[in-house]
Amino acid sequence: ATLKLSHVRPQGTAIDNDAKWFAGKVKEATDGKIKVKIYAANALGDYTVVQERVSMGAVDMAVQPPASGVDKRFQIIYMPYMVKDWDDARKVFAPGSAMRNTVSDLYAKQDIKVLGAWPVYFGGIALNKQVEGAADANVDKGVKVRVPPIKTFQMLADNTGYIGSPLPFSEAFTAVQTGVVDGVIGSGAEGYFASFRDVTKSYIPLNTHFEIWFLVINQERFNDLDADQQKALEAASLEFENRRWESAQTDQKANEKRLADAGATIVDVTPEQIDATADKVRANVWPEIMKDLGQDWAKDVLKDVVAR
Amino acid sequence: MVEIALLGFVVLILLLTLGVPLPYCFGAGLMVMTIIGDATMKGMMVWGFNQLTNPVLLALPLFVFAGTIMSVSGIAGSLLNFVNVFVGRVRGGLGVVASVSCAIIGAISGSGLTGIAAIGPLLIPEMEKKGYPRAYATALVANSSILGLLIPPSVTMIVYGWVTETSILACFLATLGPGLLITFNFAVINLIVSRKFPLVLDEPMEFKAMMKEAGKRTFNAVPALLMPVIILGGIYGGVMTPTEAAAVAVIYALPVGFMIYKGLTWKTFLASGKESATAVGSILIMILFSLMLSQIYVMEDIPQALVEKIFELTTDKTLLLILVNIFLFAIGMIVNDITAIILTAPLLLPLMTAIGVGPVQFAAIIGVNTAMGGVTPPYASILYLGARIGEVKFTEIVKPAMMLILFGYVPVVFLVSLWPDLSEFIPRAFGY
Amino acid sequence: METFFRYTLTLLISTVAGFQFVQVITRYVFETPVMGLEEVAVIPTLWLYILGAINASREDTQIRANVLDIFLDTERARHILLIISETLSIAISIWLTIWAWDYLNYAWRVWKETPTLYLPTFIYDSALFTGLLFMTLFTGWHLLKNIQFMIKGGPSADQAVDHDYPDTSEVAEFSVLDNHEEGRSRG
Ligand code: NA
Ligand code: NA
Repeated sequence: ATLKLSHVRPQGTAIDNDAKWFAGKVKEATDGKIKVKIYAANALGDYTVVQERVSMGAVDMAVQPPASGVDKRFQIIYMPYMVKDWDDARKVFAPGSAMRNTVSDLYAKQDIKVLGAWPVYFGGIALNKQVEGAADANVDKGVKVRVPPIKTFQMLADNTGYIGSPLPFSEAFTAVQTGVVDGVIGSGAEGYFASFRDVTKSYIPLNTHFEIWFLVINQERFNDLDADQQKALEAASLEFENRRWESAQTDQKANEKRLADAGATIVDVTPEQIDATADKVRANVWPEIMKDLGQDWAKDVLKDVVAR
Repeated sequence: MVEIALLGFVVLILLLTLGVPLPYCFGAGLMVMTIIGDATMKGMMVWGFNQLTNPVLLALPLFVFAGTIMSVSGIAGSLLNFVNVFVGRVRGGLGVVASVSCAIIGAISGSGLTGIAAIGPLLIPEMEKKGYPRAYATALVANSSILGLLIPPSVTMIVYGWVTETSILACFLATLGPGLLITFNFAVINLIVSRKFPLVLDEPMEFKAMMKEAGKRTFNAVPALLMPVIILGGIYGGVMTPTEAAAVAVIYALPVGFMIYKGLTWKTFLASGKESATAVGSILIMILFSLMLSQIYVMEDIPQALVEKIFELTTDKTLLLILVNIFLFAIGMIVNDITAIILTAPLLLPLMTAIGVGPVQFAAIIGVNTAMGGVTPPYASILYLGARIGEVKFTEIVKPAMMLILFGYVPVVFLVSLWPDLSEFIPRAFGY
Repeated sequence: METFFRYTLTLLISTVAGFQFVQVITRYVFETPVMGLEEVAVIPTLWLYILGAINASREDTQIRANVLDIFLDTERARHILLIISETLSIAISIWLTIWAWDYLNYAWRVWKETPTLYLPTFIYDSALFTGLLFMTLFTGWHLLKNIQFMIKGGPSADQAVDHDYPDTSEVAEFSVLDNHEEGRSRG
């Protein structure tokens, strides 16, 4: 059988290489019975529509961010300043953790099975110029940044002292280049290097949010495989995830370096600045988003995270 | 699967020839792929309809609407007077006015029809009065009208950029060089051809009087001339996206049409809205199903397989470019511009990439070819409209039109293919 | 019907332009872009596309390549071709409508919401099925009229096809706009 696997980045990127590794592993473990065919760079649609297609069984697999269109509670993943550092992130999202189970449950409601996670980066802000007080949440910079059309990011932009401007992703690069907006928020070094390297003049690693993607498969498609194949797929997925946890941090550094080599200044951000931003965002953004997602549900999911 | 895809394409062309509306032709392609092939329609509607929600695409209806308002607004008259003051006294000058005015209109409208619709009713009778054969005048204005698709903004480039995920701003600039070259060609051809015509020239004017007249006409044309400045300046100056520029063009055109040039009335406004929306609706429903068909092709790896098959025959770049041009010319003969783009761009771009033609140069190749399709018989929608507006029989226009295509257009088509800088220089200068 | 489309389509396209215009002004002039405006704007946009497509079917101005028309001499021949193409169109249209119905059910079941204002996307998801349904119906209506024309026959069927002034949707479009052409358009 051939499983169609979609991801969001161009060929040759870290995720593409890992997906290829995964495909090779699965082929090997199933004696070539299962082939994973990779569709890079949103060839099957952006992540929101691909998630729907996986849910319908029209696309078999994907590794990508969760889309909140069909269930707004997926936004819980994007809660800004939810995790502090890489160790913390690995604990919060580990298989079997409360957060991981929540994610799996949300996907299960869409007939989608979570096979593994692929941690990407801590997010930051990319600008097409140098900006005074770029990392100070309390400085109103009067600088417009493109935000993804998700409420958390729009509020995040405003709470870090920028002017959030909603623009479609397809127009974002040109908009930064011509100066319709001065930068982008909602991604990290990896994403900015992939899509915005030619227009990024400064990068602020403010750890805005923790980006994590999930390797998912249509539940029915998974059920149709025989038990050995299911095991093989799960084993490969776990290794796929663990390999990434090992390399993600270095990869983030490498991507910041790539941005710098492409001509961007990597702004020094102090832990105090991150803490100050985190406090402000938690105070202003969290209550609003939790209200949207259902106060009780969100509180329950976040209780372990907040306790630390 | 490649065989079934080709069968699907043949069925599509067959139905198209029988006069089946394009959305259904693509629908038939989908039927072939899913009923005979083993592709799935599951989730396809979700995917396709989701593509239509992209605001980038919204530039299309808005530029069409702005162009339509323009053509009824009375802007054209002021532009004609403005251009004419500079060349009106030159022998053959009025013909130059046709191509230059269409180029200026092209910088406002994104469609290939606005030039002939806006300028034709005024300029063709005027040219006839001054001694140009009516059929020639009509052919000249109709051919120049295509410049609307080559001088930015351009609906075909919006569709191309969107389908192939190429920067629309870069695509706009890719056809600018060829567009200006064609404007120049038409002007020169006209100066040569019109030597045979028994032309009546305007009385020579004293320099001082001429300057006064020039000032007056320029003042009248300012609101019209500001429009390309707002649109293109706004886009390339970093004020707005192409979609927003299209909207601003609409909003700007309203007071200009209603209050300044007064061609716009409540009645023509309503007609413009309805006609634009209908034109755009028929384009987008066609695009919807064409996208679904190319998505199925992508899922089944057809474009790659096709490239491999073609490479088994030849890998010669020049030969392939010539073949692609012939193919595009043939497609342009039977369908109109946007249809030709969505029919061919997703299929041909992988081939072009494989032989080292970049997406921006290919934008110009496909842009120039499909624009020319509007004036190549048998299906030549711009000439048809010209026939109505100029009140000349279609068969009479064909001869002068072919002459203009052959000497004005075809050389540029070859240049664009063989000389990448013609299309890539300007986008590069702008940093794309 | 004509009045309905005239007002509705003009209203929709103007609204859509208005939304984009507001976005530019709020971002560029006031530097406070309105969040979620683009989500609201999608609603009139998609209904504009779909109602435009329905109207194209109603007016019979869907994009088509009338290549064979050039080789046909009489209205009878032209109508035979129309009946063939419309029969094929209806078959394909019904097939597409069934898939759109499938989509409509899906959209109803999952009840998607937009990312910031949480508006139900069903408001515009429902447009596709509506559009295809009416396109099928209008195509059927044209088919009926053309069959009637053939049955009636007589001198109008023997009339020669006008090759001097070919008729296409573009020609029709601009005839409507051009006031001095109004008298003879589609004459
Ligand atoms: Na143009
Ligand atoms: Na043609």
